[in-house]
Formats: sequence, structure tokens, C-alpha cells
Amino acid sequence: MSAELSRRALLAGGGAATAALATGMAEARIPPASLNPLIGPGYRPTDRDELGLWAQMQRVEEEVAGSNILVKDDKLNRYLQQLIGKVGGPAARDMRIYLARIPDFNAVMFPTGFTVIFTGLLLRMRDEAQLAGVIAHEGSHFLLKHQIRQYRSIRGKTDILSFAAMLGGIAGGAAGYNTGDLTQLAQLGTILSILRYSRDLEAESDALGLKLISQAGYAPLSMSETWEQLIGESELSARVRRKRPDRGYSIFSTHPAPRTRMNDLRVSATELTVPGRTYDRGRERYLAAIGDIRPTLLDDQVKLNDAGSTQFVIETLARDGWNGQLRFYQGESLRLRNSPQYHQRAAQSYTAAIAYPDAPADAWRWHGIYLMKAGRQAEGRTALQRYLTMAPNAPDAPFVRQMLVS
Amino acid sequence: MIEVNGFSARESWRKREKCMRRPLLLAAVAASVATTGCVQTRQFADLQFSPPQGDYKLLVLRPDVQVSSVTTGGLSEPRADWTEQARGHVITALREQQAGRGGKTLIMERRDAISGVTAEQVADVERLNAAVSQSVALHKYLGVTLPTKRRRGLEYTLGQEAVRFGQRTGYDYALFMHAEDSFASTGRVALQVLGIAGCFIGFCAPNIGGAGQFAYASLVDLRTGDVVWFNVVQAGSQVAGIKFGDIRSKEGAAQMVDRLLGRMKPGKDIRRQQRQQRAQRSQGAAQ
Repeated sequence: MSAELSRRALLAGGGAATAALATGMAEARIPPASLNPLIGPGYRPTDRDELGLWAQMQRVEEEVAGSNILVKDDKLNRYLQQLIGKVGGPAARDMRIYLARIPDFNAVMFPTGFTVIFTGLLLRMRDEAQLAGVIAHEGSHFLLKHQIRQYRSIRGKTDILSFAAMLGGIAGGAAGYNTGDLTQLAQLGTILSILRYSRDLEAESDALGLKLISQAGYAPLSMSETWEQLIGESELSARVRRKRPDRGYSIFSTHPAPRTRMNDLRVSATELTVPGRTYDRGRERYLAAIGDIRPTLLDDQVKLNDAGSTQFVIETLARDGWNGQLRFYQGESLRLRNSPQYHQRAAQSYTAAIAYPDAPADAWRWHGIYLMKAGRQAEGRTALQRYLTMAPNAPDAPFVRQMLVS
Repeated sequence: MIEVNGFSARESWRKREKCMRRPLLLAAVAASVATTGCVQTRQFADLQFSPPQGDYKLLVLRPDVQVSSVTTGGLSEPRADWTEQARGHVITALREQQAGRGGKTLIMERRDAISGVTAEQVADVERLNAAVSQSVALHKYLGVTLPTKRRRGLEYTLGQEAVRFGQRTGYDYALFMHAEDSFASTGRVALQVLGIAGCFIGFCAPNIGGAGQFAYASLVDLRTGDVVWFNVVQAGSQVAGIKFGDIRSKEGAAQMVDRLLGRMKPGKDIRRQQRQQRAQRSQGAAQ
């Protein structure tokens, strides 16, 4: 009994020590000024492990480039490509960007210099400065050779672990002691140390990305705003679903916690802001570039059936002004919640939508239907007439016409 | 080793799952086929399958070859030079083998290497096959058997899409194949030596494993769209440093191609018919 207790105590103490060693108590902010790109224009690998990685990635890029979930909008793709040209540092001409239709907030960088941006990210960006921040963060992974550095770090750590476990085992074997528990502890330590390294690299990318966008003349605060939005969205989403929000503080995370990233980015932004200089937000340019696909982006988001998230996204975009499109999708999200109180609020949103000149035809359709449900037949008919004028070839147009005749 | 750096951690688990599904499945297939160090193959065929003979036209879609080195810690690190070398030898071996059977073979190294179909249509067929192959792996090799498919051989199809592909290209069969080989690094072998040495003093790790061949092929009949034959080859040892073949060499590549495609067995119904015919013949001879 006592032997077992002491072993357990040893393991618990050792585990805490490993965790503290591997992760550090608080991860320090990386000052943007301390980082510079590690590669120049036209970079090509020369080391054996990196050559292997690049060769493997060729086929991956071919697969991505030919994927049928990419958004095939030449104007938009050109816009994204020229944006990477602005904030891509020395590799501005080498990096490729692909836009995938996935309604999540994410972007990924591959080790050979191509990045995949998700449409859910485009939906959430309020202006070009925010999008430039994400692209610069991804580009920085490439500029700082993060993938190969991370791989080498993992290789080094697992090499050491394997030998340590084997030698420890042999020593234990000679001494007649089973080292299995200690080996498991060492494994945990190795995993934690790998994840810690991964979070450090993310923090590096945030810092260099911020430096790149401020050099390009974008508002440095835009990157921490993006995180503020993301945190707000995940908290509202959790609240609506009556769940606890995942705040991302964990020694098992691959990325630093959003709140840490937001705070660090805010401090760094004040450090980089040059007094008297005017910074660009590029909101008009951004809206002109994504205007054509915004209804699709909103529609995809609404259909995720994540009411809190949708509400937050729409209200965030509306901080730059409400319009018919935003009010309409607000109504859609409320209507899909399908309960009496939300139907009432949905009806209000559709009513608000049709007051704007850019209200989509479907806003008139639902406005009309809710009016008729409320017994306001004449007004409802007028709204539905308007719907038919705007969308005479809609799939349900014959039914609506029938409804109006009867 | 697909390394990606995502922007936010929020979706990273779900994403990793997506990225990892294929390698995981392959690894699991490898594990299920391999029990000890040796060479194993396990093939399934459509009940009515008879191996292509005589004047047939076979299209091999972008053979996927990957050669890597196993690090001391057990990671597999892709090697561009070895992969290039092996790919060349595997393609030569395939060509020679098919020529020996009398078929006319085209090995496509790029998606736009054939007339009649666009690179996009080739990509579509490849993706469709990848999805179907995953099903085959799951239900035929990983033990998740389907009651509706018991004793029915290989009952999978790529459907009309593959038939149209065959009409457009003028080919009778399409062969999809993937081959990988890995070699223990010096450090891994040293670790293995230590593990065996430890046996003398009471800490025994004689089989840390780490290198081996894994390959699979699926043959699609483009006249019906059906996947008519599927094979998995696993050749490896649990002792790092001991190998069963090397696809980086001409002979090793030929050996792997032979293990994978050399012994195509006909489907069960065909074999039963053959047995009956043999029995009738011997009866006839006896009378």
C-alpha cells in the first residue's frame, strides 16, 4: 500500500514538474522587432529532410489546386493574390493562395508556400486590414520556415526520448526496477514540449505578421480586433447552446489561447504604431472584392445552425452599418430557430430588411408570408407581388402566384 | 507527414481528423495485414473476375510512390531522391510485367497525359476511386465486415462515371496503385541493437520495428465500372535494420510489382467453374 502510494506521489509530482518544465509558467510575448524572415525571394530547399517534404507537398498542392471546393471567382482570387503580394515580405511573389468554400474561421499554410483560406474567414473580416493580418500570419509561417523547424524539433525530441527510454529501461533492467511509469512520464513531457514549441511558433507568426501589415500601411490594431471578434463569437455561440465556452487555455493546445494572442497583439500594435502616420483599413476595397459572394458566405453561415455564432457575426458586420442583406440573414437565422418568440423577431428583421434598397427578393417573400400569417392579407399580398416582380423565375413563383389568385 | 499550420485552434481537431483519415486508415490496414515480420498479400476479387489476358488495354493512373527514412524516434521522413529513383523503377517494372501478359498499357504520370478526357475528369475519377478504396479497406481489411456483403467477393463499383471515362479514353481497365517503402536510419538501427543487447540483462526490446513496404492496387473494369480486384501487400520486419525488399533498386521494384500484381487470382465463381471443368475432364478421361 505504502509503496503504491509513494509511487503515485512520485508520478504526480513528476508530472507537475514535467508540465511546468515543458510549458513554462506564462508564455512571454514575442516583440515583432525581434523577428525577421529567414528566407529570401525564390527560396528553394537544399537540406535532405526539407527536399523530401517539398517533394511530398507537390502532389498535395496539385490536389488542392484541382479541388472542387475551391471558389472559382477570378476577380476575387486575383484580389487575394495581390493582397499576399502586399504583405508577403520577401516571398510576396512566391506564395500562392487558394480560397476554399468551408464556412469555418480558419486558414492553413503549407510548407512549400501555398495557403488555403476558408470562406468562413472572409465572412468574418470587417475590412482589408483584418484579412491582411490573417494572410500575413500565414505567410509568416512560410517566411520563418516553421513547418520544417517544427518537424526537426519533433524529430530531435523523439530521438532523445527513444534513446532515453531504451537506456533507462536497460539501466532499470540491470537494477531490477520497472521503468515503465517513468517512460510514460517522459513521453508526456516530450508531447508537452512539442506542443509548447507549436504555440511558440504561432506567437512568432502573429508577431512577424503584425510587423508586415504595419509596414504595408495597415492599421496594426486590426489583428487584435480579429481575436476580440473570435472570442466574442465563441462565447455567444456557447451561451446560446447553453455550453461553457472553450477558452483554449490548455497545455495540450497547438495554438496559444485566443485571449493571450489578442492581448499580445494589442501590446505589439501600440509598439509598432508610428505617431502621426495614417493607417489604412481598406473597407471599401474589401467590400467591392467580396461583394459578389457575400450572400453565399452568409447563407453558408446561417445553415450551420449555430445561432449564437451567426448572431455575433451579423452584429459585428453591422457595426459598420446595417443593410438589407444583413437584416435578411438575421431574419433567416431567427426563423430557423423555429419557436414563437423567434418567429416574431424574424418577422421584425424581414420588415427592417425591406426598408433598405438592397433587400434581396427573399426578404420580400418572407415579409409577405409573415404578414399573411398575422392576418394582414392585403399588405402580405403586396409584399408577395413585389417578390414576384423581383424574382419572376424563382422556383416557387408558380405557387406564390397561385396563392395570390386564390 | 503533412504539416500544416492553422490560423486558429478552434477547428484544429476536426481538421486534423480530416487530414489524418487516409494515412490512419492505411496505417491500420498495414497493421491488420502484418502480424509478424514477413511478406503478406491479401487479395479480393469480384465473384466473376478473370484476370485480364490477351488483347486488353490498361490505363495506370499516376502510380503513387513514396520512400522514406525512419528516424531514431520512429517518424517517417520522406526522401525525395529515393522516391524519384523508386518511382522510375516501379514504372519500368509495371510496363515490363504488363507487356508480358499481352496487354497494351499506358502509364499516366500526369493528369493531362491522355487525350479524350480533361485533367479535371481524371482528378474526379481518382477521387471517386480513393473514396471507394477507403470503403474497401474499412470493410474488407479492417474487420468492419458488412453482413450484406458476406461471401460475395469484392462488390464495389465506381459506377457510370468510370464507364464514361472508359468510353472517352478507349481503355478497358484502370489500375490505381500506391506503394511505399521505408528504411531504418542509422540511429534507429543503433536503438534496435541496444534493445537486443538489453535482453541479456533483463530489459528486452527485440522488435522496435520501423521499416517496411506497404502497397495496394485496385483494378477497375471500365466496361462495367466495377472494382474487380483489390490487393494489399505488406512486407516488413519488426526488427529495425532487417528488410524484405528494396524498391529503390531495379530488382526490388520488380519484386514489389510482382508481389502486388503478379498473382491475380480469378473470382470465386470462376474458380468453382474451373474446378468443375477439371473434375469433368478427369471423369471423362477415366471413362
